[in-house]
Amino acid sequence: MLSLLTERFSSGVFVIMNAFTQVMGIIWRLLPFGYLWNLVPYDRRRTIFPLLLIVPTVIIILMVVLYPLGYSVYVSFTPLNMLRYEKTFHFEQSTMWRNYERLKDDEIFIRSLKNTILFLAVTVNTEFVLGLLLSQLMARVTWGQGLLRTILMIPMMFAPVLVGFQFAWFFNASVGLVNNAMTSLGLMQLNDPKPWLVDKPTGMIALMIASIWMNVPIMTIILLAGTLSLPNELYEAAEVDGAGFLNQFRHITLPLLRPFILIALTIRSLDVSRAYDIVRIMTNGGPAHRTEMIWTYAGRMAIRSNRYGMASAISMAGVILGILFTLYLFRQLVKSRVVY
Amino acid sequence: MRKKIGLLLAVLLICSVIVGVPGKQSTVRAQDDGPQYAGLDKDLSGITIRFAGIGGQPYEAMYDSFKVFEEATGAKVEIVFLGDGFEIDRYLKQNYAAGTVDFDVAWNHTSFTAQYVDFVEDMRQYFTEEELAPFSPAILDAATIDGKLTLIPRHADISAMHYRTDLFGNADYQAQFESEYGYPLAPPTTIAEMYDMAEFFTNVTKDTDSPVYGTQFAGKEEALAGRFYELLVANGGNYFNEDWEPIFDNEAGVATAQWMRDLYENGYIPPDTPNNIWPEVAQNFCDGKVAFYLEWYGWYSYFQDPNSCAVAGKFGLTRGPVGTAGDVHTGWAGAHAFSIPKDAENKEAAAQLIKFLTSERVAYEESQLGLLAVRGDVWGRLIAEAGASEDPLAVPRLELAQQQIAEDFFTPPLFADWISFTDLWFPTLQSIMLGDVSVEEGLAQAVEETTGLMEDLGYYD
Repeated sequence: MLSLLTERFSSGVFVIMNAFTQVMGIIWRLLPFGYLWNLVPYDRRRTIFPLLLIVPTVIIILMVVLYPLGYSVYVSFTPLNMLRYEKTFHFEQSTMWRNYERLKDDEIFIRSLKNTILFLAVTVNTEFVLGLLLSQLMARVTWGQGLLRTILMIPMMFAPVLVGFQFAWFFNASVGLVNNAMTSLGLMQLNDPKPWLVDKPTGMIALMIASIWMNVPIMTIILLAGTLSLPNELYEAAEVDGAGFLNQFRHITLPLLRPFILIALTIRSLDVSRAYDIVRIMTNGGPAHRTEMIWTYAGRMAIRSNRYGMASAISMAGVILGILFTLYLFRQLVKSRVVY
Repeated sequence: MRKKIGLLLAVLLICSVIVGVPGKQSTVRAQDDGPQYAGLDKDLSGITIRFAGIGGQPYEAMYDSFKVFEEATGAKVEIVFLGDGFEIDRYLKQNYAAGTVDFDVAWNHTSFTAQYVDFVEDMRQYFTEEELAPFSPAILDAATIDGKLTLIPRHADISAMHYRTDLFGNADYQAQFESEYGYPLAPPTTIAEMYDMAEFFTNVTKDTDSPVYGTQFAGKEEALAGRFYELLVANGGNYFNEDWEPIFDNEAGVATAQWMRDLYENGYIPPDTPNNIWPEVAQNFCDGKVAFYLEWYGWYSYFQDPNSCAVAGKFGLTRGPVGTAGDVHTGWAGAHAFSIPKDAENKEAAAQLIKFLTSERVAYEESQLGLLAVRGDVWGRLIAEAGASEDPLAVPRLELAQQQIAEDFFTPPLFADWISFTDLWFPTLQSIMLGDVSVEEGLAQAVEETTGLMEDLGYYD
């Protein structure tokens, strides 16, 4: 989760891996594998062999995903503070739910959860609508589509941190581009600048604009690839039947694009549900928690305040949110795989 | 010919013995009446001293002097980490907590030192009373926790009231202010006067070509919590009582929070204050957008540079204001410093390097950059030399700084969780300023949350 914990996780993982290698080495030397393998009935070998092949993968996943996750769950039941590791890293049944009980009544946590869901809903849906629109327009471009695609992908080439800095400057009250433009156009007084990143709801809107600007291209590219792969015969048949553009779009393009749409939405939802970088740079969840998201809250709680127990409990909420979205979207994806 | 050459060599050898071999000694010995180095009296050949310090333009100039130390002692100084205050704090905490200390000399700060107290050496083991004598006793006291001197100070900082002389000296403004408020316009000496003057300057310049905000302060993170703290103390309050119970929801806390809220609500401070931190507020003053405010001395040379700042030559400095407590001036201050980690490999050598870096000469050279010295011997020299300066503020500025460090200097509450506490508190203070909650509700909420934090950390066990 965080560098210090990661260090401890990795040292834990290292110890386990080392022990595992040692044990396997001993087993390898002691056990006559060829003899054992010959003991397995011939008809069961075909079942057991593939399972043996995936054992290393399962072990690695256990070490790099499940062990840290399990550790984080464990930490969330303790009041762990890194500066008082010995004193605070203990599990007590009587106080194990304290972090979660606090979260239940923690207005900031509730707000960060709401903000994350709102941010997710608005950005992903807007990106989808814009991406769909752009993909349909680009699919009809007959000349220079390659150049357009390249231009479209420029925002994706920037690191999110840089995008954060760029938009933080755009919306800066004193020297920002937006306020300067509005002042020049006579829409704003010089001595009455608008603090976009401070006010409600413009702070959240500014974050959404930055995220949308950066991520519309990925949505567009996926949907464009989907659109270009659709069979022409259906459109030709529809034209023969007299269907116009809107009817073709509604009854052919949209249903056939559904798997692509769901994949794009899944990728983006998972990405947005762990929103951190742009938010960290532009507002860091502030002011007054107005733009707080789950991960900025967890990050500050852990990195700045050393409260790893509480931060792990908050992180669990983020993980659950991510899992729920993934489950929902994958179910929709499975449903959409209808053979026409 | 060979004889002549031999004679010449012999003469040169004798001369060099008499004059002294140019090299180690001559580079380390300053002019006899000048400031002197320290920590160069031991041979440290073959030892590498690893250094984790604060980075940034004003702080790094000192590290050029490493080569003097290396030449004189034979040691090698290896910088393993440089970062800004919060980065180096994070680096140190992670290494201390994980037991992976890879440095022998560590940055420290009076505001942060309580966090590191279990991980650093008592510096009195390495410094004699005589060696400690030149350092500010107030700072050494502030850095002594449970009888342990956790650091050796490098330089200090405290806020002085920076005010625009062109605005305060404007005869029309003076007349108008006196008629409206009933007392003369002069740099504010009380927190109440600060409010009046902030209101006045914002309103009176509103429709001019160069409108200003009355005052300002950094509006987030520890910067906001610290500024609140010094105003709270000046108003007779404090964050905690002796039992570490939060008490800032009392009358002084309400008055201080209300003061900040009123300034923001009425537009007497910039509207993006909650997103501003040190560089932004300094830039506002530099650009001439603010009439007066409390600011660290470290920005002085920047403000006085006409190529970078509109206020160059047009501002003055005065002591921080008093609050309702009457005789307590604002004086939230801190000192950058050095420590030796308990897990350091070369503690004696590290102590030698710290003696060198905090020596009279290095401190003197560093103070030439505008940083405030923590050694009495350096102050005397600086003030004497400033008399010859063309800058009319040179002497008053130094005298004021010396007075503030001697009389007004106070640190934040010295507990390991100051940063955790400020992180918890500052967003609520922002909520109060922005009007998301009432002053009383916000303070009650913050006190409740702080109690929870302190409970978790075992302060009431």
